[in-house]
Amino acid sequence: MNLKTLLSSLAVLFISSVSLPHLHAEARPERMLEETIAEVLDILHADDQAIPAEAKRTKILTLLNERFSFDIIIRRALGRNWNALSDKQQTEITNLISDLLIRAYTKELQNGPKPNIAIVRTEDLGSNKIEIVTSVRYKSNFVSVSYRLANVKGRGWQVYDVLIEGVSMVSNYRKQFDEHFQTKSAADLLEVLQRKLES
Amino acid sequence: MKFQRFASALTLATALGSLAIAQDDGIDLDELFADDFEEQSTVSINDPLEPLNRAIFHFNDDVYKKLAKPLARTYAKIMPDRVERGISNAFVNIKFPSRFVSNVLQGRFGQASKETGKFVLNTTVGLGGVLRPSDNYENLQTTNEDIGQAFGRWGMGHGFYLVIPFMGPTSLRDVVGDYADDAVEPLKTPWSQVDDDTLRLSLRVLEITNKMPALMELYDSMRRSSIDPYSSVRDAYAQRRARDVSK
Repeated sequence: MNLKTLLSSLAVLFISSVSLPHLHAEARPERMLEETIAEVLDILHADDQAIPAEAKRTKILTLLNERFSFDIIIRRALGRNWNALSDKQQTEITNLISDLLIRAYTKELQNGPKPNIAIVRTEDLGSNKIEIVTSVRYKSNFVSVSYRLANVKGRGWQVYDVLIEGVSMVSNYRKQFDEHFQTKSAADLLEVLQRKLES
Repeated sequence: MKFQRFASALTLATALGSLAIAQDDGIDLDELFADDFEEQSTVSINDPLEPLNRAIFHFNDDVYKKLAKPLARTYAKIMPDRVERGISNAFVNIKFPSRFVSNVLQGRFGQASKETGKFVLNTTVGLGGVLRPSDNYENLQTTNEDIGQAFGRWGMGHGFYLVIPFMGPTSLRDVVGDYADDAVEPLKTPWSQVDDDTLRLSLRVLEITNKMPALMELYDSMRRSSIDPYSSVRDAYAQRRARDVSK
């Protein structure tokens, strides 16, 4: 990591420690989730057409990383393959998949109407874990999206999996990664991800 | 690459930032990565025909991109949302026999009776199923059942994964289940109540076209975010069916 990257990290850390009141650690997770989703949608549907798509995605990633922790989701998806990667590959793969996910799930949304999100219920999964079930109404359709959160020491409530219509994003990626690593390398995975982002 | 550099900076910042918020009563971060962290085991499906399935998957994908998607887009533009919803409601309503039979086969007689009440109400007050007055009654809420789910509930496995041309993913168990569903449903062959072949085919095309816009965006997002779309769709199918059976 070069000096410029380190400095920007420290700047982000400073800004987030100022802007994120410590109340968030104690706030109700449903409220935090609702606020985060609303803020993401506000960024996506900002009237200002002059804001480039990349700037919007950067803003969204900043927000999501406060509570979604893509590093947790992606490390969990990589499962046992995570430890076979070098530190550099771990960082690169985390960043590329974060980018890919945000691009994939914002492409349609940013040009369409704003979806309506309603929290249906919260289920206690035990051992400091909960599942917040939401219903997303987009155009005339309803999609069930559930967020699994764990109360992590030092981080507070963190989303560790997202289920779309009951399909776990972590399990789905894990299957793909396991198959990939049976015959291919981490370098191949980086190449696939780069290619997907460029297409 | 600017975005990725920023993402890398942010990952580090998040990790460092976590030190600032003390949260004593939570779980350790490492627990999230333990093999036994999830309560439920991951589902899988045998795929001995993978090379053939992959070829059909790519063929279906081409049909989807070049034909079905543009058609569904045009249909969604022309058709008002309310009409689209009404058509969808009517097709769901008319599948009552397979939901009823599935519930009976699973010994869920209470659910079968709720399905009957729902069907009678939606068919009469709901004008042939176009409207869903049953949504207003808590005690008429049911889960969506089919005969493949009943087989799953009996402990029958998928057998193996199949991709059907023009139709998409399924399994040996669910193909047999679909055939049984068709046999009890009034619009489908072999015992269709609609004698005219053209009308029956038109209704089938309308049903699929009407369902497409709802699934398209989700499918597109999934394809774009996957490393291997074939593997991703197969796993999504296995997960979704496992959830349906367990409900």
